[in-house]
Amino acid sequence: MARYLLRQSLNILLTLLAVTFLVFALNELTPGDVARKLLGPYATQEQVDHLFREMGLDRPLLVRYAEYVGNVLRGDLGTSVIYRQPVADVLLDRLGNTLLLAAICFAVIVPLSVALGVLAGMRERSPLDRGISVFASICASIPEFAMGVFMLAIFVVWLGVLPGTSPMRATAEWPVWMQFVLPVAVVTLYDAGYLVSMIRASMVEVMRQPFVRTAVLKGMPFHRVVTRHAMRNALITPFTVILLQLNYLVSGLVVVETLFAYPGFGRMMLEAALAKDIAVVEAGALVAVTVTMLTQLLGDLGYMKLDPRIRI
Amino acid sequence: MTDKLHPLVTAAGREMADGKLDRREFLRVATLLGVGAGAAYSMAGLSEPAMAQGAPRKGGTLRLGMRVQDLSSPHTYSWIEATNVARQTVEYLTYTGVDNVTRPGLVEKWEASPDLKSWKISLRRDAKWRKGGRPFNADDAIWNMKRMLDPATGSSTVGLLRAFILENFELDEIDPRTQKKRVSFRLWDSNAFRKIDDFTFEINGKSSFLGIPEAMFHYPAHMLDPAEGGKFGVGSNGTGAFELVELEVGKRAVLTARKDGYWGGGPWLDRIEVIDLGDDSAAQVAALASRQVDMIYQGAIAALPAAERLPHVQVNSVDTAYTAVARVQPVKPFDDKRVRQALRHATDTEAVLKVAHRGLGKPGEHHHVAKVHPEYADVGFMRRDVAKAKALLAEAGYPNGIDTEIACRPQPDWELLAVQTMVEQWKEAGIRVKINVMPSAQYWDVWTKVPFGFTTWAHRPLGVMVLGLAYRSGAAWNESNWSNKEFDALLAEAEGYLDVERRRAVVAKLEQIMLDDGPAVVPLWRALFNYSDKKVKGYRIHPTAYIEFKEVWIEG
Amino acid sequence: MIARAAATVALLGRSPVGCLGAAIVLFWAAMGILAPWLAPYPPNRIDPALIAYPYPTAANWLGVDQLGRDILSRLMWGARTVLTVAPAAVLGAAALGTLLGLVAGYKGGAVDSILMRVGDTLLAFPKIILYLIVIARFGASAFNIIAVVTVTQAPIIARIVRAVTLDVKNRDYVAAARMRGEPTWFVLLAEILPNARGPLVVDFFLRLGYTVIAIGVLGFLGIGLPPPDPDWGSMIKESYGTIFVWPHMTLIPALAVSSLVIGFNFLATGLREASEDG
Repeated sequence: MARYLLRQSLNILLTLLAVTFLVFALNELTPGDVARKLLGPYATQEQVDHLFREMGLDRPLLVRYAEYVGNVLRGDLGTSVIYRQPVADVLLDRLGNTLLLAAICFAVIVPLSVALGVLAGMRERSPLDRGISVFASICASIPEFAMGVFMLAIFVVWLGVLPGTSPMRATAEWPVWMQFVLPVAVVTLYDAGYLVSMIRASMVEVMRQPFVRTAVLKGMPFHRVVTRHAMRNALITPFTVILLQLNYLVSGLVVVETLFAYPGFGRMMLEAALAKDIAVVEAGALVAVTVTMLTQLLGDLGYMKLDPRIRI
Repeated sequence: MTDKLHPLVTAAGREMADGKLDRREFLRVATLLGVGAGAAYSMAGLSEPAMAQGAPRKGGTLRLGMRVQDLSSPHTYSWIEATNVARQTVEYLTYTGVDNVTRPGLVEKWEASPDLKSWKISLRRDAKWRKGGRPFNADDAIWNMKRMLDPATGSSTVGLLRAFILENFELDEIDPRTQKKRVSFRLWDSNAFRKIDDFTFEINGKSSFLGIPEAMFHYPAHMLDPAEGGKFGVGSNGTGAFELVELEVGKRAVLTARKDGYWGGGPWLDRIEVIDLGDDSAAQVAALASRQVDMIYQGAIAALPAAERLPHVQVNSVDTAYTAVARVQPVKPFDDKRVRQALRHATDTEAVLKVAHRGLGKPGEHHHVAKVHPEYADVGFMRRDVAKAKALLAEAGYPNGIDTEIACRPQPDWELLAVQTMVEQWKEAGIRVKINVMPSAQYWDVWTKVPFGFTTWAHRPLGVMVLGLAYRSGAAWNESNWSNKEFDALLAEAEGYLDVERRRAVVAKLEQIMLDDGPAVVPLWRALFNYSDKKVKGYRIHPTAYIEFKEVWIEG
Repeated sequence: MIARAAATVALLGRSPVGCLGAAIVLFWAAMGILAPWLAPYPPNRIDPALIAYPYPTAANWLGVDQLGRDILSRLMWGARTVLTVAPAAVLGAAALGTLLGLVAGYKGGAVDSILMRVGDTLLAFPKIILYLIVIARFGASAFNIIAVVTVTQAPIIARIVRAVTLDVKNRDYVAAARMRGEPTWFVLLAEILPNARGPLVVDFFLRLGYTVIAIGVLGFLGIGLPPPDPDWGSMIKESYGTIFVWPHMTLIPALAVSSLVIGFNFLATGLREASEDG
């Protein structure tokens, strides 16, 4: 176990190093120059050159990358070009917002999809199963941008019962919690649709197992078979998938954040990448990769705990 | 008018009386030369437009939907959004109004020498810094202007005043790329800025320049407290009506009214909140519709039809010389002027205006001089003529048409719509153009380098200003690398005339050269527009998109 | 081979969901293929006269967009685009992923470790940044989108194939083929790969659905296929600011994207049921 953890930690570190270097190198390939970006399109070339040298951008790529890694190890993530603040400040703020949104979504999505998935999977191809499956499949098929647009049309324009943007600041008409309703609804419908299908599939498989059939034949009430025997086993396989949703919820919310003007991590990353704000992109990549790797690690560990047959 | 009139004002007045000078142009010239706006209007036989929309009411919060950018270095701002926040605290010396007339700001009056090289500037005495209560004085003004003109600052003001007051000199360093000595610039004379007394100073240039009062209204020309060393942020000192109390770049900024009395009257609002809604047009409308903001800084074309239909929202618009031009560099196939002509003949500017800008503005005329420019000359409207475009292409050796690519950016959204419309029009003439949309930041890296691109040009009060910036041989912003000796000579001639009729005669020739040989397709002149809640009063949209909140109030 | 495909189709016929999915996909495929003949107008034709009243009319059944372009025609041509780009991207990913999965699983050892490590790194890489970097560097084009999707999805497919390969590589018939002296490529393709057919086919259709969404998201974020040729995501992007007044301009392409993804997902469900029953 200890060896496993050590190996995985090393693995994470190596991946982080590889990804940051890739981002650094690829960024170098893309056209554009940070000094120009800082000074704006109308500054003279002399002014741009001056700043370029002042920022030390005329040094070789590897030197700058080594310096960057050194700084990161000392806890200095650099300064953002577009926000002109320490990257750590911007990142923590936006990440905090996204984590809040993600936590709410996660808290809604998981119980909802477990309930629907189990209900659908316990009687395969029953009308209830068909209904839930089709509904889930449709939800998972409507892209977030389309769903967001549908909801804006209905709840903001037509009914006027919800605010159209979520800048996270209460106004007289719209308390902050109401600003969460539409983003959470869009994410939930899209993501739960996918999870329900996964849990249903696993549930169907478990219900076919001999031990479940035996329990039913022995006259155990159906709801007890489901809750006592089937559910626990049916959740083993989707467990990793459920955890992986965390990953999506942290770095995949860019569409919803853009749509509802929510100041989150995804929108920050999109804007930083568009403006070639390399310090922010690097820091964001570090966060995204760490979250991915940690959820995978957690998934493996949880898997072991749930299914004692697996040993690492 | 106790002061002596500048001789050019007298001359301009005579010309106006003879019908040679347009009244609007007289107003501009007279006020630039130090005549008060009220006096200038009465000399022109006009009455000054009144601003009143009822009695102002004190109190309330206004919420503005606008990008919240970094504000730390006002003298190097490159975007209007940043200045729109800072301006409420750190003011300009002058104010050029919607009517192109420059009025006093922190400056009370100015006088120009007959040769327009020396300017005497008198400051008002009642403008006080919020912190410390010290009056704003000549040392403050000179410190700010010198700082903006220092190469180490990197302010775009340099481009505006370089010919007037700066000179180049060689540094001792060698530039490794060119193997030549690096060149920098400095004030041309130690007396370029000379303090006369606490509230009076002189600006001495090496050449004539009429635009000094307008240059003081250039967007980064904020007057900062020298004690703060050129930085700006929450709590920064200022002479303006508001104080910045909160700033989160990319999220929001909050300003509150100054309590110790403001020299300019007002302010009426207690509080201004700027909310960053991103670049998304739907978020704009959504925020307006659910009353989460009271005003949007600039409207997206996609959001216009919706905003027009919101009953509590008003669409504000003003005709400007704002545009974007599809310009080509002299490389194959555009090295042949017949191909450039074909591009223009294949374009239906009226249709582009209607489709891509929903008819708000005026159709473009390809010579980059707009009807709002005083020296505009009517050289005939170029109607679309596909057959002629095809014939020109065939003559140039492209009987089967040409294939090429245009670079453009996705924001603001009308630009991409205009490009798509033109591409479709060009196709009928056999000019097959692929569209290469790149993020704005990328576009600004290559805007002077791409062979074929679509570039925004901001509103400028004079036609010759734009022609000089964009089409003079070798100019820093001559993005099309176009060079025409006759054009350069005529342009220099036109710039030398204060008399607008003489200038117009030369501009007519310049326009003709642009139509015949020029590198640009000018699809339209934009009307700038934005949205505000009907309860917002005292606001008028400005052709530069500047917002001044000290005059604005919210109706109860 | 043909017989097997026919059998699958027959089995699919028993799944109502699968049939519905197949019908939707076939509908859009027909629209795309027949667009040059069926579309009432050229897809990029701009008609300024129409923008005053952009709603559906007898001449323009689904109305026009804000540039006065016929939405129905753009929808048909857009189907052609998405049904070319998405399958090409997923086929690319499947080919690359299958190859890497087979090699990694079969060879094992260092080759396996290295391939899987590279795949993990790619999977951990924030995709939106990868897209942006590629598009900023090489421009927005169908080919670049196909390339990026191929690279980012191949590792997932490689994992599926590798798992199957590990499972069967020591079985008797594989050993027998090796004993017969068959070349490695033959063993991989003829003996091992067929075992992965079931999961791969289902995955293929699910992945088509995701890719349609991904292309739409790119269009929506303004970094998708270049204008003016119609692409459903960009159609939504261009018009959704007007949703409050002209909802049809946005809702129609949004419904089109959604229905196509639903079609692929239903098809995948049907195929899974068919393979389970068969």
